[in-house]
Amino acid sequence: MAKLVLNCTVNGEPAEVLVQPWDTLLDALRERMGLTGPKEGCGTGDCGACTVHLDGKPIASCLLLAMQARGHVVLTIEGLGRPGALHPLQDAFVRHGVPQCGFCIPGVLMAAAALLTENPHPTEEEIRYGIAGSLCRCTGYTKMLAAITETAGAAAGRRS
Amino acid sequence: MSTVMKTTRDVKGIGLSIPRPDGPEKVTGQVQYVADLSPRGLLHAKLLRSPHAHARILRIDVSRARALPGVRAVLTAADIPELKRKAPTRAHAVLAIDRVVFAGQPVAAVAADEPAIAEEALDLIDVQYEVLPVSADPLEAMKPGAPPVADAGTEADTSEAQAHGSVAGVTTEAKPAKAVNISQQARIQRGDVAKGFAESDVVIEKTYRVPMVHQGYLEPHAVLAQWDTTGFLTLWSSTQGSFNTRSEVADVLELSENRIKVIPMECGGGFGGKIRALCEPITAILARATGRPVRYVMTRREELEAGMPAPQVIIRLKTGVKRDGTLMAIEGEAVLESGAFSGAVLAVSGVFLASLYLWPSFDVKGFEVLTHKPSIAAYRAPVAPQTIFAIDSQMEQLAKAIGVDPVEFRLRHLQREGDKMANGQPWLSNGGAEVLTRLAEHPLWKKRAEWKASSPKGRLRGTGLSLGGWLGGLQPTGATVRLNPDGSVQVLTGQVDIAGTNIALAQIAATAYGIDVDKVRITTGDTDVAPMTGLSAGSKTIYTVGVAVMEAAKDARNQTLEIAAKELEASVHDLEIDNEKVVVRGVPDKGITLAQIGKKGNLYMSKVQPVLGVSHPAFSQQAPAFCAQLAKIEIDPETGEVTLHDFVVVQDVGKAINPLAIEGQMQGGAVQSLGMALTEALVYDDKARLTNPSLLDYRKLTSADLPNIETIIVEKPSPHGPFGARGVGEPPIVPAPAAIANAIEDATGVRLTELPLTSERIALAIASAT
Ligand code: FES
Ligand code: FES
Repeated sequence: MAKLVLNCTVNGEPAEVLVQPWDTLLDALRERMGLTGPKEGCGTGDCGACTVHLDGKPIASCLLLAMQARGHVVLTIEGLGRPGALHPLQDAFVRHGVPQCGFCIPGVLMAAAALLTENPHPTEEEIRYGIAGSLCRCTGYTKMLAAITETAGAAAGRRS
Repeated sequence: MSTVMKTTRDVKGIGLSIPRPDGPEKVTGQVQYVADLSPRGLLHAKLLRSPHAHARILRIDVSRARALPGVRAVLTAADIPELKRKAPTRAHAVLAIDRVVFAGQPVAAVAADEPAIAEEALDLIDVQYEVLPVSADPLEAMKPGAPPVADAGTEADTSEAQAHGSVAGVTTEAKPAKAVNISQQARIQRGDVAKGFAESDVVIEKTYRVPMVHQGYLEPHAVLAQWDTTGFLTLWSSTQGSFNTRSEVADVLELSENRIKVIPMECGGGFGGKIRALCEPITAILARATGRPVRYVMTRREELEAGMPAPQVIIRLKTGVKRDGTLMAIEGEAVLESGAFSGAVLAVSGVFLASLYLWPSFDVKGFEVLTHKPSIAAYRAPVAPQTIFAIDSQMEQLAKAIGVDPVEFRLRHLQREGDKMANGQPWLSNGGAEVLTRLAEHPLWKKRAEWKASSPKGRLRGTGLSLGGWLGGLQPTGATVRLNPDGSVQVLTGQVDIAGTNIALAQIAATAYGIDVDKVRITTGDTDVAPMTGLSAGSKTIYTVGVAVMEAAKDARNQTLEIAAKELEASVHDLEIDNEKVVVRGVPDKGITLAQIGKKGNLYMSKVQPVLGVSHPAFSQQAPAFCAQLAKIEIDPETGEVTLHDFVVVQDVGKAINPLAIEGQMQGGAVQSLGMALTEALVYDDKARLTNPSLLDYRKLTSADLPNIETIIVEKPSPHGPFGARGVGEPPIVPAPAAIANAIEDATGVRLTELPLTSERIALAIASAT
């Protein structure tokens, strides 16, 4: 089958890539654009490791066909921040010693970033449900909660 | 291996909560796992797996698959000359030869330009099976006449037990004649149990069951293989031990180990499931057949159906006690279901059952049984959570039955340092009593009666605790420490850093050398460059590699001081390292910088040797490490739903090298333990096929299921660990199942003995008790 042209915005830049009709957005990002930050932990929408933002909303990129992103705005972990210019959530994750194996971390951070955009002052309960789509096998989530809570608090502090 | 280091001043080193230096790369998606690698010419591998748990392969036709455009190789066992009919381990069973022994066993392999093409090729392979009867239940499989799993009986594979440094001295018995699926058995015995029970006032007998569970690492197994034109193989692997991977692959492929390089990539979790080789051999063979780099990444479904989970464990225990609380006798047996290949750690179970508490008489048997299921591997403190679930539940019930305080009861009978374990060896120094005592002082334990009394209408509240531990693993290992020409320090090991152990090793090097940790860089080398290094397993990274790093750093320090002594014309004994400078004590102006010493070791025509500290120790003394956990819960008796309100973990770590990283281990281990307690099970049908091969149906705990996990670190120094440290990784996965079962009994009066303690089981138990 002939490849298709996917045009969309990825991490603030216009992107044009050839994809297979059956490629998921995750495949397109990882295999066709070299953005390997989003991870595949299940491929069936159950683990959250592949979470990216589509028009600002968190989605499981393993469940979306690449061509469904045509004309949309995609943000991956690579676009959230980079070493030397970390997003406040990323910075808090590092300081709180959250990452162990690290495989879940890109997905958790994208879920958390979307949560704080939607709801800048979440309760602990809201954070717990906000990242519940992301499985982490290493950390027990406690330090994640602390890092996200601190970031939300700090953001609130800056605003007032 | 002394525990007291003389440092000349306080450097930034051990004891500090320093975040791992690769954190920024981890949170930005920059670290590379195997699946992130795409070398030029990359091919993708897929495996055709048997849908049957036990079948004879009558015919395989791959011609249509081979003809598919984009397919570069289709292999069956017939194409691989190294394969042996009787595979001694799972790694050797690369592709099934004429019989499959578990559902999900690979029978053919494809390499193609795209994953989708490889998958299409799988559909074009035609396999004819003759389905055979299965052994799906370990208790049935033990009986004479059960469908046999191994071809001609089976051999015990105890290498896992050795890697985890478990217990020697448990006697192995010859198996009864016709029980073909019993692959190992052992018995530990002391005293007269019949007399003990006769003299007991209370005898309790229960059977505990823990199903097979998956380690659950989020990154599925992955490997990339490439050969060069001289026949040298490079493997990029997600492994807990690159040297072990190299040995296993060399053995399967009949290659010399120095013809293989294993590059350990970032490992997305292992927990024991990435020790043994699994898909490395077939990936290497596909790369050899195609002359191209081949990448194989398991799907989650393959992980669950055909990974290497933890064994199902069934433990029957009969225990007797006198009214005054005197323990009299324990008798029972543990059955470990290992799937299609031997490899369970039988001895750990026996030692914990018979000698965590002091029984005057015991008689405990252990059996490893093969069934037509995927073969098992280690899972964080292999068999300890299952065993502690049984023995701790039993202790709690005995205490209740005679009306004594359950903590005092445990403390009264807990074996202490020097007491004899069931295998005759003495218990080594440990903090078992300390962590339990500490937990019993916690306000949540002291106020448990108030919590229970505060139950709102239609809810039941309870509190439970449990004590468990791990004996500690050992493995020879190596490290080097160099002084660079700019005065910075470089540590090299082959240690795979999964949880953040490298920062702790760097802290050890810093303190031992006498320089701030920011001046220390630590590297994990591949098998070509690193000194031989053990597995990231058995809670032994800091305990053993930490010693190697400490000794290598001391060696480098001594060399540094000797060079300085010559340069300064002073005695080594008068020198100290202060602020990156070697100075003569009391003469602050007389000194030489580490950079000057480092440069002399690298200057053209220099006569000064470069500083190279080396250590490659072997070990004989384990350091048992204990953990006590408390659960405060609320139950809806109608639905059986459990809400966890609080969870506390108290653990003896000997010496906390990096408290931040240790807390992370304690919290993560506790949540895996809670998953085993509450939700996780690989569920098989009567044809031994997995019925829940997805993360939707294999339920792991999420952030929404849990409270914050409170951690309390206890430090009872170990005699031989670096700076007194003990192993940290495994103990926290041990106690939660018993703690939760004890809490459920406190809340409802019902005792549950089969994991996971699902809502359904709890509701049914409550309903049938009333
Ligand atoms: S990979 Fe998409 S949810 Fe798991
Ligand atoms: S850090 Fe390993 S899965 Fe979250």
